[in-house]
Amino acid sequence: MTTTRTIGRRRTTPPAEPVPRRRPRYGERPGLAYLFLSPWVLGALLLTVGPMAASLYLSFTDYDLFTTPDWIGLANYRALFGDDPRFFAAVWVTVKYVLLSTPLKLVAALAVAMLLNRVSRTQGFYRSAFYAPSLLGASVAVALVWRVIFDERGVVDESLSVLGVHTGGWVSNPRYSLLVLVALAVWQFGAPMVIFLAGLKQIPQEYYDASAVDGAGPWRTFRSITLPMLSPVIFFNLVLETIHAFQAFTGAFVVSGGRGGPVDSTLFYTLYLYQKGFTEFRMGYASAMAWVLVIVVAIITAVLFRTARLWVFYAGEESR
Amino acid sequence: MHRMRAGAAARAAAAVLAALLAAAAAGCGSDDKPGSQQVTIRFDWWGNADRAEITEKAIDLFETKHPNIKVETSFAEFNAYFQKLATQIAGGGAPDVLQMDYRYVREYGDRGVLAQLDSGPAKVDTSGVTPQLLSGGTVGGKLFGIPPTQNTQVFSYDFAQWEKSGAAPPKDGWTWTDLRNSAQKVSDSTQKQVRGLADFGGIEDWFEVWLRQQGKTLYTDDGKIGYTAADVAAWWQLTDGLRRSGACTPAELTTKMDGSQANDPVTQKKASAGFGYDSGFTAKSWEIAGRELKLHPFPSDTGKLGQYAKPAMMFSIAQRSEHKAEGALLINFLINDAEAGKILGMSRGLPANAQVREAVGATLSGPPAVGFQFEQTVGPKLEPAPPPPPKGAGTVKSTFQRIYDDVIFQRTSIQAAADKFLAEAQKAISA
Repeated sequence: MTTTRTIGRRRTTPPAEPVPRRRPRYGERPGLAYLFLSPWVLGALLLTVGPMAASLYLSFTDYDLFTTPDWIGLANYRALFGDDPRFFAAVWVTVKYVLLSTPLKLVAALAVAMLLNRVSRTQGFYRSAFYAPSLLGASVAVALVWRVIFDERGVVDESLSVLGVHTGGWVSNPRYSLLVLVALAVWQFGAPMVIFLAGLKQIPQEYYDASAVDGAGPWRTFRSITLPMLSPVIFFNLVLETIHAFQAFTGAFVVSGGRGGPVDSTLFYTLYLYQKGFTEFRMGYASAMAWVLVIVVAIITAVLFRTARLWVFYAGEESR
Repeated sequence: MHRMRAGAAARAAAAVLAALLAAAAAGCGSDDKPGSQQVTIRFDWWGNADRAEITEKAIDLFETKHPNIKVETSFAEFNAYFQKLATQIAGGGAPDVLQMDYRYVREYGDRGVLAQLDSGPAKVDTSGVTPQLLSGGTVGGKLFGIPPTQNTQVFSYDFAQWEKSGAAPPKDGWTWTDLRNSAQKVSDSTQKQVRGLADFGGIEDWFEVWLRQQGKTLYTDDGKIGYTAADVAAWWQLTDGLRRSGACTPAELTTKMDGSQANDPVTQKKASAGFGYDSGFTAKSWEIAGRELKLHPFPSDTGKLGQYAKPAMMFSIAQRSEHKAEGALLINFLINDAEAGKILGMSRGLPANAQVREAVGATLSGPPAVGFQFEQTVGPKLEPAPPPPPKGAGTVKSTFQRIYDDVIFQRTSIQAAADKFLAEAQKAISA
């Protein structure tokens, strides 16, 4: 019994005969393990699972934040799909954002990772430098800076004006405003880049040596060795970044001043959810939106996992 | 050996963990100092840095007079303020004293979030406040917000620019056509570098004045919408014409107007005139605008002015506040104390307390004096304020501005935009 609960490194086979009493070993006292886990378990229960359960309940209610929620069954969900054109506008904006920002970000991350993968003394510096935007990018301060850069008479507008292209500021132009946010997302390629770097280091040098002997050029090497060997990492990053992109909020909130404008061109799903919940006091409706998002993201993740069988290559399965 | 080390490490880690937990617990409790009468109250409001400086001065005076009360303040611009307030109240962390808007007082008052101010522990002396203004903070017979000041709608313009452009200045009885002609002159004479007007079509407040000029209201007395899609379309037709002819700001500038000074085309000197409220004038107003402005009542085609004396804002106390009496003291000080009044000046509008108003009027100079002067001139022509608008009115206002974007970016026809707006507005009111 004790051995089956072992958490530690070595699993011993259950002894056939009773052994002499001994001190319980570290790792064989589950109580202690749970004690150490408790900050995270409590955090997960109180800060994630609890609120999620609450929001599931609220999604079936009419709740205005201040008074007691009233149970209204599926009415929120019905209104969402039947009677809310802005909901579909928000879905469309979000889908466009995910489809644009995720691939661009991954390409940027992989490109920079490959540049940095070359051994060099300054590699550490550049790695940190390229990672920095990921640490800063989700912050309000950077979103504010971004807004200024792409605003009328901002750096981008002024530079383009010198070239004779007058855009009048991207932020307040419904045609370009979403691109500003895509650019902000792509710029934060640091996290997938670091993962790509680690993945690149895992690829055995022999493969490259062999292909060099066979006379493969850089493109061929990339296609036939780097990409397939890296595909599990690409897959990992793809799933993670897709989920992140669906959840994007801060940039849109700050750049559009919380309004999702102009003409709802930056009305991200989460931003619309926020507006419903906190400016229109319809928290039940907002909760229903949150659950629709959870389900959609879960489905998309499942689909990604399905397609993974077709293109993700795990070393050790060469025989397949 | 190995076992020993693991055990020791575990014990050490457990000790660290225990210490952290203890520290966290201590951190939670350190706010309550039993035995001391010191009370800290929080006061949140909307406004800009200019108003903040003045408010802080008044708060300093309050703290000197009541050494046992410490006031923590925080402010944001209007939209951000209300987003934050809703979150705070829902989370149980509402400020003790808060600034409330006419448009939201029913929303919050009806939901039991605000304390009653005409009886109970949060009672404030309102004997000096104009009764019509108090009715603006009264919902269902209970006083939930006390207006410290009144304001009214105003047209402000850069008179030097208008003179240079040869635009006829506004005069008594001027019409919307007069406004259009003058604005066009400014835009034309500056090759559209400075537009005559900041586009005002998306702001429900100015639409309301225009409606009232035709004898209609934003909301009926029983809280229904008091106009039709045709009214909205006619209003947007008017402003659409101004934009197309270049008399007012282009869509890219208009869409950024969020009530903040930073995004106001007049402050940015991209427009020479605009509509606004006459509250908020401080000694620095001209400095911020970069030039002096003159104030004038709205234009009208019907001979009816349509403007009214509005509670510029209200002070309320949160129902869940544990320091209602201290909060009431602060509100009492801000609205009834002559010294406070002199510090605050016109920064929140014309003082609602008649005595304070007189005391303040004598001391003003610069922009606040211009605001005060305007209130004195226009005052007799103002109508009383309508009853507080129904729940959802805040959403209707933001919807009005959002759908106006469809018009200025020419996404739909004006009629379609007006229909869409009215449908959404009806839904917001009934929800």
